[in-house]
Amino acid sequence: MSPGSLLLIGVVVVVFLAWIFWPEKGLLSLLTKMRMNTLKVQLEDALKFLFDCEYKNVSCGLHTVAGNLHISSNKAAAILDRLQEMGLIEPRNETYQLTDAGKSYALRIIRVHRIWEKYLADETSMDHKEWHNAADLKEHQLSTEAAEKIAGQIGNPVFDPHGDPIPTAGGDLPLHLGVNLSALKEGDAGRISHIEDEPGYIYEQLMALGLYPGMQVYIMDVSAGKITFAAQGEEIVLTPLFASAITVEKLQEAVHVNNKYELLSSLEIGEKAEVIGISPNCRGQQRRRLLDLGIVPGTIVTAEIKSASGDPVGYRIMGATIGIRKKQAGFIFINKKIVQV
Amino acid sequence: MENKEKVSAEEILSLANTLRWDLGMNLHDTVTESIYEGASKIAKKTVRVKDEKSSVNWDLKIDKVVTSKWLGFPIMFFLLALVFWITVAAANIPSGWIASLLIDTLHPILKNGAAAIGFPWWLSGVLIDGAYLSVAWVVSVMLPPMAIFFPMFTLLEDFGYLPRVAFNMDSLFRKAGAHGKQALTMSMGFGCNAAGVVATRVIDSPRERLIAIITNNFSLCNGRWPTQILIASIFIGGLVSSRWAGIVSAGAVVGVAVLGIFFSLVVSWALSRSVLKGEASAFSLELPPYRPPRILQTLYTSLIDRTIFVLWRAVVFALPAGILIWLVANIHIGELSLAEWFINWSDPFAMLFGLNGVILLAYIIAIPANEIVIPTVLMLTVISSGIAGVGAGDGVMFELDSIADTERVLRAGGWTLLTGINLMLFSLLHNPCSTTIYTIYKETKSVKWTMISTFLPIVMGFAICFFTTQVWRLLVK
Repeated sequence: MSPGSLLLIGVVVVVFLAWIFWPEKGLLSLLTKMRMNTLKVQLEDALKFLFDCEYKNVSCGLHTVAGNLHISSNKAAAILDRLQEMGLIEPRNETYQLTDAGKSYALRIIRVHRIWEKYLADETSMDHKEWHNAADLKEHQLSTEAAEKIAGQIGNPVFDPHGDPIPTAGGDLPLHLGVNLSALKEGDAGRISHIEDEPGYIYEQLMALGLYPGMQVYIMDVSAGKITFAAQGEEIVLTPLFASAITVEKLQEAVHVNNKYELLSSLEIGEKAEVIGISPNCRGQQRRRLLDLGIVPGTIVTAEIKSASGDPVGYRIMGATIGIRKKQAGFIFINKKIVQV
Repeated sequence: MENKEKVSAEEILSLANTLRWDLGMNLHDTVTESIYEGASKIAKKTVRVKDEKSSVNWDLKIDKVVTSKWLGFPIMFFLLALVFWITVAAANIPSGWIASLLIDTLHPILKNGAAAIGFPWWLSGVLIDGAYLSVAWVVSVMLPPMAIFFPMFTLLEDFGYLPRVAFNMDSLFRKAGAHGKQALTMSMGFGCNAAGVVATRVIDSPRERLIAIITNNFSLCNGRWPTQILIASIFIGGLVSSRWAGIVSAGAVVGVAVLGIFFSLVVSWALSRSVLKGEASAFSLELPPYRPPRILQTLYTSLIDRTIFVLWRAVVFALPAGILIWLVANIHIGELSLAEWFINWSDPFAMLFGLNGVILLAYIIAIPANEIVIPTVLMLTVISSGIAGVGAGDGVMFELDSIADTERVLRAGGWTLLTGINLMLFSLLHNPCSTTIYTIYKETKSVKWTMISTFLPIVMGFAICFFTTQVWRLLVK
């Protein structure tokens, strides 16, 4: 055979293999995804959605179910019928109510989902954008025993990384506390307790703004089309739609946190600063590592040397010089003023 | 009574759970932080630091130089090049001694001795020409460079310089999704991949450590340098006038090594974004204070820990390989030996990749040690092309004293410039030696990662040889 045609065959083989094995978009992973989308998965998703509606006291009918699952109304009706047959839900007025069996089934799925999200956040370096989708797949596969084992390994967490409480193995879930950020008034202060991860595009934008559960907010201004608040000294403006994805616990004493945190990555060579804390966005192994090295509130750090390529920077921490990358240094809050004597 | 207690225990548990919700999601952190906070406050009050200024300043002065924007990289390249140069230059002499002792002197004595005692020909073949010779070969090629390279490397480490190399190189490796310390394990891989894989223990982040293990094989180890140098001098150096031959062939070898570094970065990048995406990752790099190296201790530990250890494993693997090599060349089915059957059968397939059946067979039976690839290739070429008057008999590995003689044998075996180039590429990109594969398994405890580390480079090697060959044939005809 001539080299030209061999070359062509070679290229075709490479392209073919790439088409099959490409991560996420390849045939293999598409097939896996398709196989996952079975009736069982749709039933469980519908049940979970209805449970969520009840939990938040929103009424959800046929069309919201169909919209949430991205299926036609006919299909959604079939699924709801099947759930009724199984004795998991019963119709009430325009909406549906979960039976006791349905509630405990739904809680089990939610528990697995949130444990898996917590696991991904703490034990892997998967991006925060991917936790939810990965857990949406995993919740239908993981057995209760396997989920309990994982929960045990990561210290029986009670909250998932979005701030949602994880139901207990016995099926307890705290009452829905907290208010919507859009319901707060000027001068109110609160702590973000939850950021809704659906729909994805809103969640991603909120993440891009640097918001996270546990952050303190102080409402500066509320007007018709927008809500302005201070979070960690930064002024953030959101439309009511975006604000409604954020749940806050109101704080009684309005601790006015208006001074913006400075980041370790902004420390120039030779400067000193006191550590205030580590951003909750830094999780799992990396967080434990920084804590181990002595990055705790009150520690004095000095930026000592820059590597030949500028990043990482060597910091003097508790008598040792530690190289920390710019990205990680951006997770560490510092106060330069305290030590500038 | 008992029943009552049980109920109350459950109640307590459920109450505890409810209370944990009230505590909020940062409980774990708060506890950890306050423990550290308390400890450091106590330490601040009670521990008095004896004026550490002077030593810190000394370290800082050295650091300012070795990590400076302009001097950092030149100093690094100079020091590493020096280490490699000393290794290559100084290893030749003891290598020659050991080879002349074990191979030129002791081997004939053993053969004659065996004949005198009345060993049957096949027994002395298997034991002396097979097992003994392959072990002797590995020892003579491997021991001297390892005994020189590792102590020097360890001295640099002990002094405190190597963490600064990792510190300087981190930004390049970060872009490839890897850890700066991979620069060190990669350099170690230039000595020996098995030792490089063991050295990845210094990388304390699981994902980056796996990346360093899988890509270590892209560092040209010292068992492969002689192959590269020999083939480059024959086929690439032969392209230009003898005045330039040395420089050009050296350039070709360095080019292959640099290509290896390039592949190592590209593969790191791809791995960190595909199969290893989810593995946990954490970065921090301690820059320990400089200190005078403890020379004797370093010599001792690097000799025991690295040199003898790796050598022992290589010997363990080379011995059965020697037996196998002798057997495939001496067991005949019909007219032909097993080796010839395989070579004839695989030749058309190997030609697609610009290689030949001899090379494929040599790389299969010489998996235990890259050092014996060239002697095996020569022996197999003599068998399969029926050259008379060269070599030491079927199944007996040999090397020729002059490059010109080696060239004559290879050309008689049908080698061209393209075969030479492909062999150099394939020598860079093929499975790790069995010592390294075993070490990878020991370090990762995972069949999956061992398989990936083994087959990824060989698939890449075949693909790259294939495309090189076809493009070459298309253009150079």
